[in-house]
Amino acid sequence: MERYEAKRAVIIGGTSGMGLATAKMLLDGGARVLVTGRSQAGLESAQKELAKGGVVVSSDARSLTDIDALAARVKAEFGAFDLLFVNAGFGLFAPLENTTEAIYDEMFNLNAKGAFFAVQKLAPLINRGGSVVLTTSVANVKGMPGLAAYGAAKAALRSFARVFAAELLPREIRVNAVTPGPIDTPILNKAFPAKDVAAQVTEQMRGLNPMKRLGTSEEVAKAVLFLAFDATFTTGAELPVDGGWSQL
Amino acid sequence: MGRLQGKVAVITGGTSGIGLATAKAFLREGARVVVVGRDQKKVDQAKDLLGERAVAVRADVANLDELDALYARVRDEFQRIDVLFANAGIPGAPLPVDKMTSEAFDAVYATNVRGTFFTVQKALPLLATGASVILTTSIANDFGRANVSAYASSKAAVRSLAQSFAAELIGRGVRVNAISPGGTDTGIIAKRFSPEQVKVVMERLKTTLPLKRLAQPEEIANVAVFLASDESSYVLGAELVADGGVSRFTSVF
Repeated sequence: MERYEAKRAVIIGGTSGMGLATAKMLLDGGARVLVTGRSQAGLESAQKELAKGGVVVSSDARSLTDIDALAARVKAEFGAFDLLFVNAGFGLFAPLENTTEAIYDEMFNLNAKGAFFAVQKLAPLINRGGSVVLTTSVANVKGMPGLAAYGAAKAALRSFARVFAAELLPREIRVNAVTPGPIDTPILNKAFPAKDVAAQVTEQMRGLNPMKRLGTSEEVAKAVLFLAFDATFTTGAELPVDGGWSQL
Repeated sequence: MGRLQGKVAVITGGTSGIGLATAKAFLREGARVVVVGRDQKKVDQAKDLLGERAVAVRADVANLDELDALYARVRDEFQRIDVLFANAGIPGAPLPVDKMTSEAFDAVYATNVRGTFFTVQKALPLLATGASVILTTSIANDFGRANVSAYASSKAAVRSLAQSFAAELIGRGVRVNAISPGGTDTGIIAKRFSPEQVKVVMERLKTTLPLKRLAQPEEIANVAVFLASDESSYVLGAELVADGGVSRFTSVF
């Protein structure tokens, strides 16, 4: 029997990076997976990467209309499911004085509000004994220049994990957060379009990290799957996968 | 293929409860296991239970000579350690601050803090590159509760050791993390109380615990397997809580 046989998973923000790596691991372990994304390029490449049975759905994690449509689609595909991994998120670097209302709203709409309503709309479809994993960030515990709005939105998400854990407990659904540090994903290059800046920031993060390297998407995926299926007495908790950055 | 295939694991406090359940899980995942306990009878029982792929050694982690003897034995038999689960710990007698004696206080610290410190220090020459060290803390280090000041603070010290050790040992490729269990059904309650009392205790736990039950030792063992394995290769200095939510939220208003 394969490790994730007969499991069904929904990954919001699953067409690249940590979400995609988790989807692949689940498929390899015998699970059925539905991933969402919003960029056409991402959707197409995920379609190829998840060719062996993944369902790829275009859905904007910030849009409540899209979240409603997604819930209907999940119900049609799976009926009920076992793991909801709410992973869509993005950090815009902006110092306090340059943070516009638009940037501020974007950070909270995507990282906090979208995640809140995704859990609200999809939780009713999660099986008893199932699990929710939210992707927070070391930015929610470590002050990082330029990431005030992003860090605060992720801190809100970390807080949701505790309260959702309490509220979904009667249905035996565990809710936890995975807290990535610097991970080598395509988002890094998206956050810093200028190549030399991206390289410089990456080098800085590597130097500051106790492990002197970035993490990989696969390392985060393994932690997500641990929380989802093995950590049966863990709920409302946060698991840092950050090379020790937030811990030492 | 097991998740710990070919690894050599040493588990202190390995002859009962969480340690013994973890020994079974490590064996299932393909590791060779040395369990350590201070009670010869339990060491013998563990040896019988775990079978030929396990070695059971009597040693008290509070006694540095016995730790030396333990690691000499491990060196002779296995030459290295890939996973060190420094799990030995004692609760001590529940005592309010005014009744605490220096003997009772020292006994808790001798095993939980000093014992953990030297269990790791003396293992260093044997720890392989890529090894994982796991310390057992407790959710008691998150709480203020009456009558457990020595125990709770000793576990807070162990939590701190996990961070300091992680910073010091990552340079040689050794990861250090902690597991923080909540109430776990290790059989201690059944041993200490009469059947009627056990019933009362269990009923009370159901009303006070969010999950309405204690952890099974196997559930904590699952956490140890994750931290011991390469699946947690980017997790460092962390404390994974497995407490059924007790320390993270309240389910009652």
